Order: sequence, then C-alpha cells, then structure tokens
Amino acid sequence: MSDLKTAFAAIVGESNVITGDFAAYANDWRKKYFGKPLLVVKPGTVEEVAALVKLCAETKTPIVPQAGNTGLVGGGVPDESGTEVIISVARMTKVLEVDTINNTMTVEAGCILQTLQETAAEHDRLFPLSLAAEGSCRIGGNISTNAGGVQVLRYGNTRELVMGLEVVLPSGEIWNGLRGLRKDNTGYDLKHLFIGAEGTLGIITKAVLKLFPAPRSTQTVFIGLESPQKAMDLLGFMKGALGDRITAFELISDFGLSLVTKYFPQLKAPLPPAFPWFVLSDIADSRDAAALTADVEAALGEAIEQGIILDCAIAKNETEGNRMWELRENMTESQVHEGRSIKHDVSIPISKIADFIKAADAALEKAYPGVRPITFGHVGDGNLHYNVAHPLASFTEPNWTKELDRVNLIVHDATAQFNGSISAEHGIGQLKREEIKRYKSALELQVMKNIKAAIDPQNIMNPGKVI
Amino acid sequence: MKILVPVKRVVDYNVKVRVKADQTGVETANVKMSMNPFDEIAVEEAVRLKEAGIATEVIAVSCGLLSCQETLRTALAIGADRAILVETDVELQPLAVAKLLAAVFKKESPDLVILGKQAIDDDSNQTGQMLGALLGRPQATFASKVVIEGGAAQVTREVDGGLETIKITLPAIVTTDLRLNEPRYVTLPNIMKAKKKPLENVKPADLGVDVTPRLKTLKVTEPPKRSAGVKVPDVATLVAKLKNEAKVI
Ligand SMILES: Cc1cc2nc3c(=O)[nH]c(=O)nc-3n(C[C@H](O)[C@H](O)[C@H](O)COP(=O)(O)OP(=O)(O)OC[C@H]3O[C@@H](n4cnc5c(N)ncnc54)[C@H](O)[C@@H]3O)c2cc1C
Repeated sequence: MSDLKTAFAAIVGESNVITGDFAAYANDWRKKYFGKPLLVVKPGTVEEVAALVKLCAETKTPIVPQAGNTGLVGGGVPDESGTEVIISVARMTKVLEVDTINNTMTVEAGCILQTLQETAAEHDRLFPLSLAAEGSCRIGGNISTNAGGVQVLRYGNTRELVMGLEVVLPSGEIWNGLRGLRKDNTGYDLKHLFIGAEGTLGIITKAVLKLFPAPRSTQTVFIGLESPQKAMDLLGFMKGALGDRITAFELISDFGLSLVTKYFPQLKAPLPPAFPWFVLSDIADSRDAAALTADVEAALGEAIEQGIILDCAIAKNETEGNRMWELRENMTESQVHEGRSIKHDVSIPISKIADFIKAADAALEKAYPGVRPITFGHVGDGNLHYNVAHPLASFTEPNWTKELDRVNLIVHDATAQFNGSISAEHGIGQLKREEIKRYKSALELQVMKNIKAAIDPQNIMNPGKVI
Repeated sequence: MKILVPVKRVVDYNVKVRVKADQTGVETANVKMSMNPFDEIAVEEAVRLKEAGIATEVIAVSCGLLSCQETLRTALAIGADRAILVETDVELQPLAVAKLLAAVFKKESPDLVILGKQAIDDDSNQTGQMLGALLGRPQATFASKVVIEGGAAQVTREVDGGLETIKITLPAIVTTDLRLNEPRYVTLPNIMKAKKKPLENVKPADLGVDVTPRLKTLKVTEPPKRSAGVKVPDVATLVAKLKNEAKVI
C-alpha cells in the first residue's frame, strides 16, 4: 500500500492522496453503504487520471470512480475489502468553453451541476439538467448515472444533453470524443456506452454539453386533484393546451406532502390539505411572462370546468414558485425523519401509471395491512418514486427494514406486470445488481457482460457494480 | 372601514437586473414583472382585516403603465374588492406618486392606507412618508403588527435595536415591513373572480396632478464586479493580508 501511495503521490501530489478520514468518500448519501477504500486520490487533469489508471491496471488495483457522491444505489462507494482506490474527479472543475453559437459548453467532469446551470445562465442559455442534489452532484456523476431529474419531460435525460465525451479507459488510454456535433453517423456511437455505465467502463474526464435558449419566464402551478388517473388526464390536457412549454410535471400524494409540512413547518402548502393528490408543474416560455401566465390560467381554468382538477394555486412571482418547489425538494428528506421507508424508483408507460399505483397499493395492502405508500415522482416522463412507509400498528422502523426484499419484490413485480423498469433513473450500482437478473433477459445480461469484458478485461473499473 | 392599498409593479425579485446599454435605466423589456413584495404584504394585511370583519372594503391602486393592470389583478385575486389604475407613461418619482395617492385618498376617503415601506426597484422609502405629510395625517412606518381599535391603529414598528409600539388616530398611513405577515398563494378560482371585479382607469390630469419628474437620472451603472477570492496557505498569511491589503485589522 505504501508503494502505491508513493506512486500516486508522485502523480497528483501528496496533498491529493487521502489516507485517513474516508467518511465523505466511502459512505454513500443514504448511509446505506460504509465502504473501506485503500486510498482516495484526487487528480487535477486528464493526464493525471490516465497515469493513475495505468498504474492501477499494472497493479490490478480496483478503481471506484467518484464525482459528488450523491448517488443512491451505492455505485460510487467502494466495498469493504480495503483494496479499492477511489478516484475522485472533484478537483477537475474547469469550464473550458461556452459556445453560444453551437449552443454547447465543454466542461471538466468535476463541475458541480449547479455551477454549470449558473454558467449557462450567465451566457443567457439554459442547461436544463436539474435535480434536488444539484448543489453537490457533479457532471461526471450525472453522466455516469444518466441522471434524469425534473425537466426530462421537455429536455430529456442526461443522455440527450451530452454531445461528446473524453474518457480514460481501464487501460489508462485517453479516448477523446469531445465532438460538438449534432449529426455524426460514423459507426458505433461510443459515448452512449459510457453514459449511464456507472463508472464500470472508464472514467469520464470531460464532456461537451448541449445548451438551450434561456426561457424568459417560468410559471409554477400547484394543483389539487382527485386521483393519479386525473393527473394523467391533466398531463394529456396540458400537452394539448400548452404544447412543449411544460417543463416539469410532478405527482405528489397527500401523505407525501403532509410529511414535508410536518418536518419542515416553515414550508406552507399552497393548497388546503383536503385534496388527495397534487401536481406541481412548471410551464416555461421564451415569450413575455404575462402572456404565458394568461395561457396557463386559461388552460387550467378549462381543466377546472371539465372536472379534471379540483383547485390550483398559481405562483404570483418567482419566489412563490421556488417555495412550491422547496416542498418537492424536501420530500426525500422528510421521509428520513419519519423513519426509513422502502424506496423504489420505477418507470411505467405513462398511460399505465394510475393502474400501476392501484395494483401496487393493493398488493402491498394485502401483504401488510395499514402500509403507507408515499407516492411521488416525475410522472410527466413515467417515473415514480414509489416509497413505502411501515404500517404503524404492526411494524416499527427497524423491523420494517427487514421486509425490504419482500416489499421490493411486490413492487417490482407490479412494475414488470405493466412493462416498466425497476430503475428509472438512479441506476443499478450495488443495490439492484442481483435484482435486475430477475427482470432482464439472459441474453440482454450476456451482451452487457460481453461489452464490459471487451473494454475492461481485467475487471478493475468499478468491479461489482451493475453486473 | 375602507382601506386603500397602493401597489407597485416592479422587476421580479428573482430576476437578475441588467442595466440598459445606454445607461439610462434598467432593462424591463421581456423581463418578468411582479408586485413589489412589501406591497403584497400590504394587500394581504388589508384583506385579513376585511376577513376579520374590521374592514368593509379594500381598494388597490397602482400608478404607471397600462400593464400595471396585471399587478392590480393580482391584488384583486388576493382579495381586494376593486382597483384603480392611474395610467401614465411618464416616469413616476416618489413625490409624484404620493401626490397621485393623496388625490385618490381625497376622492375615496379611506380610513387607512397600507403600503410597502419601499419598492425593491428604487429602494426610495419615501412614498408613504410623503403621503402622510401631504395629507397631514399620522403615519406608522415599518409595521410588523397592526391592531385596529376604535378610531385608532396600534402599530408595532421594527426600529433599530427592537420594536416600538405606537398608537395613531385614523385615517392614517401604515407602511409594511417584512414580518407583518406571509402573503397567501392565490388560487385559480380567485384569479377568475378577480377578472370580474371593477378596475377603474384614470389619468393624472383627471386628478389634477402634475407628475413631471423633478429629479434627473444622470447615469445608471452596474455595481463593480466582485473579484475572485484567493486561497491563503495559513492563518499568518491571512492575518497579514487583512492587515496590509484589506486594511481591516
Ligand atoms: C437528494 C437527492 C435527489 C436526487 N434526485 C435525483 C433525480 O431526481 N434524478 C436522478 O437521476 N438522480 C437523482 N439523484 C441521484 C443521482 O444519481 C445523483 O444525484 C447524481 O446524478 C450522481 O452524481 P454524483 O456526482 O453525486 O455521482 P456519484 O455518486 O459520485 O457517482 C455516481 C455513479 O457514477 C460513477 N461516476 C462518478 N463520476 C464518474 C466519472 N467521472 N466517470 C465515470 N464514472 C463516474 C460512480 O462510480 C457511481 O457509479 C438524487 C440524489 C439525491 C441525494
């Protein structure tokens, strides 16, 4: 170990090799995994990353690539063997170029997502990737998890926002695919292999990202409605009335909202708690704000008349819009306060979401009477965070955790029944590695293994994750 | 009891303000505009007094461009009963606004005027005080609590170092501070109702007020850009820098 440490230090400098206090790197955000790395190294350039990886390849040292360490499936943390080296890109935070004509920006993998959003805004552009962890997660991690977030409905997943990549391969070679081309049909599109690979195929060091015109105005609305089916009806209705100006469409159950207002009493609910379901939506436009608000009011007024929605609060300024979003952004944290719930991140064909919720609710209630599903998520793109809190009468928090596998099975089988996916956006990591075997065909898994073996024959790049 | 609530249309608090290229003012074309946050608090307070059965009518008034109608509609959606727009495209300065409001006051004879302590665009903090002076009526600025009793308002004011409670005889002027209340969200049914509430349009000339600006803006410029921070290796260097470069210790 001390040899390796010395060799690493020779590449990145003594102060960028961490040998003690690993907590910030070795434990995941949800405090589910407590890994034991050999070392943490923080390179500052792609050349340093390449040199580190080359050294690891020579010594067969397993590598865990890491960015902001906010991942939710244990993909960015090491195992407990004490043999894995975390290579963190957190020091690589340069924005190399912003091209407002090509509408792209070229950045290093360690850039914090929020910084990139701000950089785009300074150039009167939009970088649309947005998620609750944006103040801490880094673009290399976002790309490696193909992160989704709240604007997928209009702008797509991270995959749609990446135009080029620079990657250090498990051999230590640097692949420069930093192309800013919207059209490039020249064989296999390699960048797509690394997007969403969760660090199993190489270390992403730079990316060319897509920019969009900055919306002039955003109107946020908070809607009360009767059922998930009505929410789906509303989505169809709004798409018709407002077109692709809808940038976010989030479903929130009354129970989910009540937990936020319970643990964050300073956050006020925009509507009385009398409604069973809520939708939080953003509609954005590059036209005049007043015209946009008028369109939204007209459309939702019609939705009330048609009985699709029950009530609706319209943010009268951006501060109020931000406060509405704070409710949504604190949902995950409020559930931590209520006691650990069993979480799912499923994707369902949009037209089947309401049926899925019914089926999953019923199957769970049958197995665990009094169970409390916390249903919310980016339903505009078919994604539900279907979390399950323990029945108060029959379970306590600690013995509920023991039901994890059985609850997962019930919910994921319901997902499969509707042709859904058991991991919509958080990935596989260590958390779902065994489980996907149940839901993916043997052929599909074999092709994935073949790809992994072709690029990382020594299996040193984030071993034990995904496959 | 009748309450008059003046409201101003300003660039939204969250918008990053840009100076016009010719330095004559700030860019407002294609920019999100909202009600001045302190005025929103004023409308909320008036509507609460009405809901508590203390006030009988809440009248919102705004001075400026035709687009101020949108701001008045917001006041009506919060719960004001009717609105008056004093329409002009002349640049309005605090004294002109105070004179217009004084004229509206004389027409409407309200018992109370509640308005923001200042507008977040020019930060003048003058209109309420000037209005009190023009009308010769008592004023209580920076209110964090308002209690109406008999013919008087007992107002808690946020002053340097604490709170001061004063009692003023109505009719009176109250300007709002941030902690007075938290304005409600407006709901679509109330926005719809607001569209049917009366909105009267008058001109400064109808009120007999000359709004010609008395102050001339010479130049508007961006604040100097913040220079990037530096990392210092140790405390000694930090202390030395604070002493020799920043000269703060
Ligand atoms: C509060 C909260 C809300 C969230 N909301 C969402 C959401 O709405 N949508 C969503 O999709 N996700 C969400 N996430 C999870 C999401 O996956 C991460 O926030 C983010 O995309 C990961 O970025 P990171 O920089 O933290 O990556 P890390 O956690 O450091 O790493 C994630 C994975 O990528 C790999 N990796 C990291 N950097 C590199 C690199 N440079 N090269 C190769 N591989 C690398 C790691 O090995 C790991 O497998 C949320 C997380 C939190 C804590």
